[in-house]
Amino acid sequence: MADPILSIRGLKKSFGALTATDDVSLDLFPGEIHALIGPNGAGKSTLIKQIVGEIRPNEGTIRFEGQVIDRLDAAARARLGLARSFQVSSVIPDFTVLQNVMLAVAGADGHVFRFHRPALSDRTLTEPARFHIAHAGLSGREGTRASVLSHGERRKLEIAMALALRPRAFLLDEPMAGMGLEGAKQLTAILSDLRSEAPILLVEHDMDAVFALADRISVLVYGRIIATGSVAEIRANPEVRRSYLGEEA
Amino acid sequence: MNRDLIVNLVIFALLVAVALGAHVAGQGFTVTLATKAAILGLAGVGLNLALGYGGLVSFGHAAFFGIGGYVTGIFASHAANGDPILTLPFTLMGSNEMLGIWPMAMLAAALAALLIGALSLRTSGVYFIMVTLAFAQMIYYFAISWPRYGGEDGLSFYVRNSFPGLNTFDPIQYFAICAGLLALALLFTAVVTQSRFGLALQATRQNEQRSTAVGIRATPVRLTAFVLSAMITALAGALYADLNRFVSPSMFSWHMSGEIMVFVILGGVGRLCGPVAGAAVFILLEHLLGPVSDHWQALLGLMLLAIVLFAPGGLIGLTLKALRRTEHG
Amino acid sequence: MLLAEQVLNGLQYGMMLFLMAAGLTLVFGVMGLINLAHGSLYMIGAFACATVAAWTGSFWLGLAASLAAAAAAGALVEMAVIRRLYPRDHLDQVLATFALILVFSEGTRWIFGDFPLYLKLPPALSGAVTLPGGLQYPLFRLVIIAVGAAVALGLWLLITRTRLGIRIRAGEADREMIGALGVDIARLYTIVFALGAALAGLAGALVGSIQSVQVGMGEPVLILAFVVIVIGGIGSIKGALVGALLVGMTDTLGKAVIPGLFARFMEASDANTSGSAVASMLIYILMAAVLLVRPQGLFGARA
Repeated sequence: MADPILSIRGLKKSFGALTATDDVSLDLFPGEIHALIGPNGAGKSTLIKQIVGEIRPNEGTIRFEGQVIDRLDAAARARLGLARSFQVSSVIPDFTVLQNVMLAVAGADGHVFRFHRPALSDRTLTEPARFHIAHAGLSGREGTRASVLSHGERRKLEIAMALALRPRAFLLDEPMAGMGLEGAKQLTAILSDLRSEAPILLVEHDMDAVFALADRISVLVYGRIIATGSVAEIRANPEVRRSYLGEEA
Repeated sequence: MNRDLIVNLVIFALLVAVALGAHVAGQGFTVTLATKAAILGLAGVGLNLALGYGGLVSFGHAAFFGIGGYVTGIFASHAANGDPILTLPFTLMGSNEMLGIWPMAMLAAALAALLIGALSLRTSGVYFIMVTLAFAQMIYYFAISWPRYGGEDGLSFYVRNSFPGLNTFDPIQYFAICAGLLALALLFTAVVTQSRFGLALQATRQNEQRSTAVGIRATPVRLTAFVLSAMITALAGALYADLNRFVSPSMFSWHMSGEIMVFVILGGVGRLCGPVAGAAVFILLEHLLGPVSDHWQALLGLMLLAIVLFAPGGLIGLTLKALRRTEHG
Repeated sequence: MLLAEQVLNGLQYGMMLFLMAAGLTLVFGVMGLINLAHGSLYMIGAFACATVAAWTGSFWLGLAASLAAAAAAGALVEMAVIRRLYPRDHLDQVLATFALILVFSEGTRWIFGDFPLYLKLPPALSGAVTLPGGLQYPLFRLVIIAVGAAVALGLWLLITRTRLGIRIRAGEADREMIGALGVDIARLYTIVFALGAALAGLAGALVGSIQSVQVGMGEPVLILAFVVIVIGGIGSIKGALVGALLVGMTDTLGKAVIPGLFARFMEASDANTSGSAVASMLIYILMAAVLLVRPQGLFGARA
């Protein structure tokens, strides 16, 4: 197998007496969708926050494309191509769709300290932005303010912003949350397509989406990974059935 | 043309028209009032960059206004007595040239803003307000207890500094200088807020977490905006010193910080010409109500309260709303 | 011996700052409001004390009036203006309470004029006492220290031991929660605000008794109380106490010691002026140091 894009080893984080992640190790390989599932409070969000650099782990190490990124802050990790979406849609509300994606392009190329040229006539910003907007299926909405977009459109905008980062890996935190049946279907197709851009670490509660998309699944319970394997292996794993899937069976 | 641009042009044109009209009518005092409005508006334009566009609620911009003023006063007084300002690490002589003094005033304010900003930006929200207020108060007390440049009594200089080709003592010519700089600052703000940097600054105000997730660190962006904002306000302080030919610690007072903030909000936060409208209305009120009652500030307070509670968009917001209503109604 | 006197002065100054900071930090902790007009309540307490003491000839009635007037003004302002500001952002709060300062200051100037008033201490509180070690120290300053300590103890008991205290703590933790528990939030907020106002009014009366009572006396103290809160950590009564004592000590000792220190390596007159200039900046340097090490304040919870 190829080298992993993202490789996590022995990640540990506790808040006082509470251990949120306990010795977590996992890999994200090129081309795969690796789903992370687990009951509420299992520590999925805390794990994501450690990977993106929002909180510091107590122990453990994270490598991204072979480079140890433990000391980089969240913005630096994003510029390396670690693209993230949020559980609750997070965009710049008073910006248009185009401006939102332009912001991501500017963030990715690292040239924020330019004071002179109007951003809207800077083709090194607008052209990539329009391209990513089209890719995410939002063409025609460039001039719309983000705050008036529908929930599904906002999800697409987040994906366009992630694409603008020239992503080497996606971290998607419950992208299906709050989507209707039709929206979820559409988004599943988009995510499946996204895999060709970069591998996806997918945190998701929607089991239909997970089983449809994931190449591999890791199950997180009480801060520990109790199993990692293919969809079939995870479905068959007795411990997983008992502690997690059992609720739904 | 879009409506915001029209409103901005109208506000600026009104200010110039008042000054010119007063000049033609031979009312030097009114020209001076318009000059004061332009200068205080400029101070507000500076704060607006940090507050309106960057969401940095600085209650300490009097520090930069005062620094601009004192740099002017110090240069002018040394030019008068011929003593150098500094002998170590290099010799710095006084000067009467506005074109030489302004960069010095802005540089001094930039250094102060870099220090104050770097410390204050370690906090956010209500802490940021209190910390900027406290640092301005520190400089205020320093100015009071440092007797070299007048201490509590302030510092007078008898000759207004000079500008090549103009007679700065002529009210209308001094107004032209101030209005010119105000126009430049407005243009600068318009350009900067439309640029990549402006995009990043406004994004960090609205959603810091999202900005970070696309690779933009908020603190350097904010610190840059804070320093630029301080430099503009310092330039206003320099002009204010020359207008009065006098500087005093009250330029550093919390009351001054509050007033600069009032100009911004009275006009409309984050609107290009908001602070100019706010400062003009402030001067107008002071001029109209001041003779009627010694306690006009109480009326100002009540009016301000009404605007905060019932008209969050400020005066420009109110005007735009009224315009829209007449169009649709 | 001189040092002991300065330490007591610092303690007295710190206790007075604590009375101011406690109310501010309580109001922020429970309601999330930054109140610039807290200095006006301090001024109202001082004026009420001076006026009533002059009318009745009784300092004690004046002191009671300072508490009552500041609490009443606080409750009134809370109901008329402040409660509309809780859902607003800090900018609106700053601006509206700045507007309140203008109204209060000009209103007071309108009634009392520009001349400062002076309070006369009753014989029971004036004069000096001899402390162990032979130090002569003004009795009233010791009283201020005692009042500050008593208020600190009282607040601690109030918050840990009473029903009101439980509600205040619940309010700090979760605003919706106490609504769900059936507590009348609007009334709770008014009470907390009036309590903070009363403490500010008391501080104003006490300080007015050793200095003078005049318009604008509140704002410099307010800004110092902000420094105290930044150092102590917002919302923490303990932080307010520790921060207040630190600021009081630093300022008093700095002004006493630094000019002398400077005199060792420069001329006496220069040392005096530059020493006092530096001493006036000392507490802000202390604040900067705290910001560098612990931006959330010594006892602040949030990073």
